[in-house]
Amino acid sequence: MQGPAGSGAPRTPQATPISAQSRAVDQLANLPYWLIFILLAGILLIYLYSSNETYVTALGRILNGVVVTIYVTAISYISALILGLAAGLGRVSKNKVIYNVATLYVQVIRGVPILVQLLFWAFVIVPLVIDGVNALGQWLTPILGDPNALTTVRSRDIDFTLRCIIALAFAYGGYEAETFRAGIESIGRGQMEAARSLGMSYPQAMRYVVLPQAIRRVLPPLGNDLISMLKDSSLVSALGVRDMTQEARLYASASFRYIETYTTLAFMYLVLTLILSAVVRFVETRWKQM
Amino acid sequence: MSSATGPIVSIQDVHKHFGNVHALRGVSIDVVKGQVLVVIGPSGCGKSTLLRSINGLETIDSGRVIVDGTVIDSQHKNINTVRAEVGMVFQQFNLFPHLTVLENLTLAQTKVRKRNAEESKQIAHDLLKKVRIPEKAQNYPAQLSGGQQQRVAIARALAMNPKVMLFDEPTSALDPEMINEVLDVMLDLAREGMTMLVVSHEMGFARNAASNVIFMEAGQIIAKGPPRELFDNPSNERMRQFLSKILH
Ligand SMILES: Nc1ncnc2c1ncn2[C@@H]1O[C@H](COP(=O)(O)OP(=O)(O)OP(=O)(O)O)[C@@H](O)[C@H]1O
Ligand SMILES: [Mg+2]
Repeated sequence: MQGPAGSGAPRTPQATPISAQSRAVDQLANLPYWLIFILLAGILLIYLYSSNETYVTALGRILNGVVVTIYVTAISYISALILGLAAGLGRVSKNKVIYNVATLYVQVIRGVPILVQLLFWAFVIVPLVIDGVNALGQWLTPILGDPNALTTVRSRDIDFTLRCIIALAFAYGGYEAETFRAGIESIGRGQMEAARSLGMSYPQAMRYVVLPQAIRRVLPPLGNDLISMLKDSSLVSALGVRDMTQEARLYASASFRYIETYTTLAFMYLVLTLILSAVVRFVETRWKQM
Repeated sequence: MSSATGPIVSIQDVHKHFGNVHALRGVSIDVVKGQVLVVIGPSGCGKSTLLRSINGLETIDSGRVIVDGTVIDSQHKNINTVRAEVGMVFQQFNLFPHLTVLENLTLAQTKVRKRNAEESKQIAHDLLKKVRIPEKAQNYPAQLSGGQQQRVAIARALAMNPKVMLFDEPTSALDPEMINEVLDVMLDLAREGMTMLVVSHEMGFARNAASNVIFMEAGQIIAKGPPRELFDNPSNERMRQFLSKILH
């Protein structure tokens, strides 16, 4: 089946104008309308700010809490990654004790709402630990004297921001543990076997061979969890920590300006999460290239 | 000299179960330094399990494996000592995909052998020359053909200066045109006097390189002998049937 001798010229698509047109339609259809919608809402808000003083006041109050929101998110997330990596390694460990401790942690975390976990850390675990430290101080008075550093620890020494950070870190650590476990298990058994048969110890094989590959694979879920953490950090307002949400609640209940306040609050979270998603995507593409 | 020093690998009455499967049923083999032992047998007869019990990737239920004087028993003691002395090459290469070829070769040298970076790189480059791909040092495994990857895997194992090399079907995941480049490297090694245990159905390699061939079936050694004897006059009926299948 040879073609006719005269048709040797390269076949170019002749419908160029049509395809250009359809490309334009395609581009139109593929515009990120959701983003345009958000931008328009932002413009509307800016208009409201210029015409309505209440919005400006509400925004000012909410911005007072933005540092706390970012601080709580960042510290909790980094701690959660460390806890999650440790627990994830425990979940794939052959050591039965380590495996069971890690699994208990993950299962408890997953079975209790985060808000309840915050309350539990703040009002149960931390006070109990402080009581325990005090009791230890009492017991050691023959050595340390009375009063000593241990007996004088008071509940108020550990502020609610710190309690919330601990609670969020442990809560998200439980989720990240499962993310890391899934990542480690997605790396074929052959990698561990090759590393071990070169004489590497299990920790060496994990650190230099399995984890670098596993972590690259779980970057997308880890990035999503950072954004979730930013949103869940608003739960700290339930304990009176003055993040954006708490500032908004205080202002709204004092001024009765609920619509202005909570519209501004919602939009602030949206702006922060959009910025964070862009950062996360940037980091992901950079890591994939490496 | 070799007979005076005794076997470098000695497998003594080794048994291994996977649940109900009795994968090794009292296997005993001695391999003298410099020997090349080729293991053949039908699928599932325990060839991989035998190889993997020599470097402790499988624990054994009973019996002993002695590598260069170090005993591995069912307690799995001494396993790290043995592993650094035994190189293993896998059917699926198992190169580290996140590392360059050079890094694949230097990682265990620096972490296990505690060589410095300069020395381990030098050794790596020399070995890449030996396996005939010096130009690929900075590439990632995914950028290499299967045959090239397997040669890197061989070089990676050699970088540890192993006393014994294990090959588990090193060419059976390769396209036919790449098989010989890997077998040639293995032949070089055999000529240089490397002690090798090779699971492979490449009869040409067995004829050229093997000191002995072992035929396994259902977890046992059924026949053993120099390749010419075993292949040309198979005394065992089942082995005759097996050979007629793989030769045609
Ligand atoms: N991890 C395992 N769990 C359960 N059974 C196993 C495992 N590894 C091997 N077996 C079984 O042990 C027997 C021997 O397996 P082995 O892999 O050693 O055979 P083989 O001779 O290498 O086969 P092949 O030529 O297919 O590679 C088989 O019946 C196999 O199903
Ligand atoms: Mg096998």
